[in-house]
Amino acid sequence: MSTISLHDTHNHDSHDDHGHHKETFLTKYIFSQDHKMIAKQFLITGIIMAVIAMCLSILFRLQLAWPDKSFPILETFLGKWAEGGRIKPDFYLALVTIHGTIMVFFVLTAGLSGTFSNLLIPLQLGARDMASPFLNMLSYWFFFSACVIMMSSFFIQTGPASAGWTVYPPLSALPTAISGSGLGMTLWLISMVLFVASSLMGGINYVTTVLNMRTKGMDLWKMPLTIWAFFLTAILGILSFPVLVAGVVLLIFDRSFGTSFYLSDIVMGTQVLPNEGGSPILWQHLFWFLGHPEVYIVIMPALGISSEIISINSRKPIFGYHAMIYSLIGITTLSFIVWGHHMFVTGMNPLLGGVFMITTLIIAVPSAVKTFNYLATLWRGNIKFTPAMLFAIGLVSFFISGGLTGIFLGNAALDINLHDTYFVVAHFHLVMGSAAIFGMLAGVYHWYPRMFGRMMNNKLGYLHFWLTFIAAYLVFFPLHFLGLDGVPRRYYAFTEFEFMQKWLTVNVFVTWAAIIGALAQVAFLWNFFYSIFKGKRAPQNPWGANTLEWTAPVEHLHGNWPGEIPTVYRWPYDYSKPGAEEDFIPQTVPFSQTMSSNMPHDFEGNAESERIQRAWEEQEEAAAAKTKLD
Amino acid sequence: MVHTLNKQDLNNHAQENLKPKKFIVWLFMVSSMIMFGGWTSYYIVFSASKGKGHGLVLPDLFIYSTAVLLVSSLCLFLASRALKAGNTGAQRGLLWATLVLGILFGYLQVSAWSTLVATGAFFSNNNAAISMIYVVSGFHLLHIFAGVCFLLNAIVGTYLNISSERRKFRMEVAAIFWHFIDILWIYLYVFLLLNS
Repeated sequence: MSTISLHDTHNHDSHDDHGHHKETFLTKYIFSQDHKMIAKQFLITGIIMAVIAMCLSILFRLQLAWPDKSFPILETFLGKWAEGGRIKPDFYLALVTIHGTIMVFFVLTAGLSGTFSNLLIPLQLGARDMASPFLNMLSYWFFFSACVIMMSSFFIQTGPASAGWTVYPPLSALPTAISGSGLGMTLWLISMVLFVASSLMGGINYVTTVLNMRTKGMDLWKMPLTIWAFFLTAILGILSFPVLVAGVVLLIFDRSFGTSFYLSDIVMGTQVLPNEGGSPILWQHLFWFLGHPEVYIVIMPALGISSEIISINSRKPIFGYHAMIYSLIGITTLSFIVWGHHMFVTGMNPLLGGVFMITTLIIAVPSAVKTFNYLATLWRGNIKFTPAMLFAIGLVSFFISGGLTGIFLGNAALDINLHDTYFVVAHFHLVMGSAAIFGMLAGVYHWYPRMFGRMMNNKLGYLHFWLTFIAAYLVFFPLHFLGLDGVPRRYYAFTEFEFMQKWLTVNVFVTWAAIIGALAQVAFLWNFFYSIFKGKRAPQNPWGANTLEWTAPVEHLHGNWPGEIPTVYRWPYDYSKPGAEEDFIPQTVPFSQTMSSNMPHDFEGNAESERIQRAWEEQEEAAAAKTKLD
Repeated sequence: MVHTLNKQDLNNHAQENLKPKKFIVWLFMVSSMIMFGGWTSYYIVFSASKGKGHGLVLPDLFIYSTAVLLVSSLCLFLASRALKAGNTGAQRGLLWATLVLGILFGYLQVSAWSTLVATGAFFSNNNAAISMIYVVSGFHLLHIFAGVCFLLNAIVGTYLNISSERRKFRMEVAAIFWHFIDILWIYLYVFLLLNS
């Protein structure tokens, strides 16, 4: 096992010749069925979408900070959407809508799960590829089409959807309500159907691969926490995304076929619409039945990634491996019975509100378990501050500071005050926005050598981290105070309302912080794309990690391992084990090779192994006693 | 020591891969069930809050189509038995019968819709419960279309010179999926009957 060839290119060729047709540019880079290439496709598409979403956010931050100022350059780029250099109200709404949609779905769902589930599930479990590589390829191309359709709405006359990322009817259901509810909304819905199809194909593939294609010895309780997180995320997706499709289909019928699923008693101008009997609240139920699990779909992979990175770079076993898994399972289960906390102000029965409040607050328990376990892992660790580690620690920081405000918002009584204010914006941008982005960036820095065979520049990584970390807090922390003062989100001009005017200076500050944060991303983008071609060549196992992906050759090959797939003998967190020669023992090393560091519980009650270990220890003791006597 | 993956290994690998692929079909069914669950829960909440359901006597054609679908499932079950007994001819014939019955089912569903339309229960309706009849039966029909594709795949498999594992795999996928959409329709039909 330990003699797996690293440099034998002939071996690589023969593998390809036997197993696959000759690879052309088209099959290797475009319609690839190799999970590693698909992961890279997801990542790069996700990064491009993230940059677009970030630019959109800078545009509306400009409007928020200087509502009366004219920026002629905006008119150059945006034409009539920014006549006289000022962003129009309709377009402002389109900006926040598409920013939210892209970030939540395209970057933090597809970009995050799509990249790391694809890359790591086969590599960390010891599989040659996904259960269905074809479905995997299809999943990427559906995602790509969804991106293209979503972006195409910027090139139509009426502009993109502008009903907010939750697209509540009736605003979204009536094409004439605002300009964004016309063709832009139709494109949004089509894009989302394709996106959900992509997510389902991906998720079904991930779950199937995890359950059926683990290598020998890799039982569920030897899986790295990354895999547990991806696995449970995929389950969440399979169980919740179809409900969004159900809701979206009804919305499409309401918009284009004259049904009344969500519409009732509507007067447009002087015209009474014929629709009757529907209920817009039902959209909220269907949407948030997906929408709430969705926020865990966003954060759980990031939590899994940071578990792995924190353990590796603290050179310590993860604290509470089983507790980490049970808390993920707890979050997964609870996430299905909390959606009502988004709807406390819809006239919900207070008793029902109370139920949703309790289930919501219970989620604080598994979340806190995870947080304390991260801190306990860091505690007295031999910490290596790689850029990935910094981002993982950054995730923990955001998860705490954003999670605390979740406890405020989960209370029905408090939420009635805070609902739809900047307090909510601050809360979710910290706990799921920044935390998940930091998890994703940590993953990129950590697995970059695995993806591209090269290292990223550490110095640029540190610059990127510190600027982003500080900017993110400077952007989102002040928003809490706006929210406590009752400033509603999505309002176009703070100058229009007297009680909001005093917050204009804060908005200027936040916008400057956002601009600095955005500029910091240039360091990342340069580092990322430059290192693909010019980075230092990556060693086999740059971080001294235990998991299987670092045993596969740096040079990618379809099938991952040139020979037999490695067998797994131990859990993935044997770092700094007392008595071991090195401070890490890969999962592929059998206990028979590490007699000096084996612990009684390593054998899981296997009497024969325990006997052999005891015999070895007695022998060692005898030998030691003998040398002493001599 | 260098191992190479030879053709034998890869073939074994491909065969082992059939079981996960079957699992994919099961997971697809789960997500599909949840989608219909979304619609039927919409229906329940809607009718509970408005105090009304679709309020129709469902067309008799739905009874006939249900019967046709049940018979088709029976045919498919017998086809699976024929495959186990090694009787390819019977299997092929029964698969064709299933396919024809499936298409007949689709025809009956569409006729049922035209009966509904004729009685004034249009799709675009101020009673969302009536629109929902079209939504669930329509999306079920899409599943029937997918099921017909799986059946064709299995039928083609009986003509092609492929390994018996692959033939069995195609048959099993078609069977799992077809029985699922059969049960799904019964659920939807009974649901609509009970919540009128």
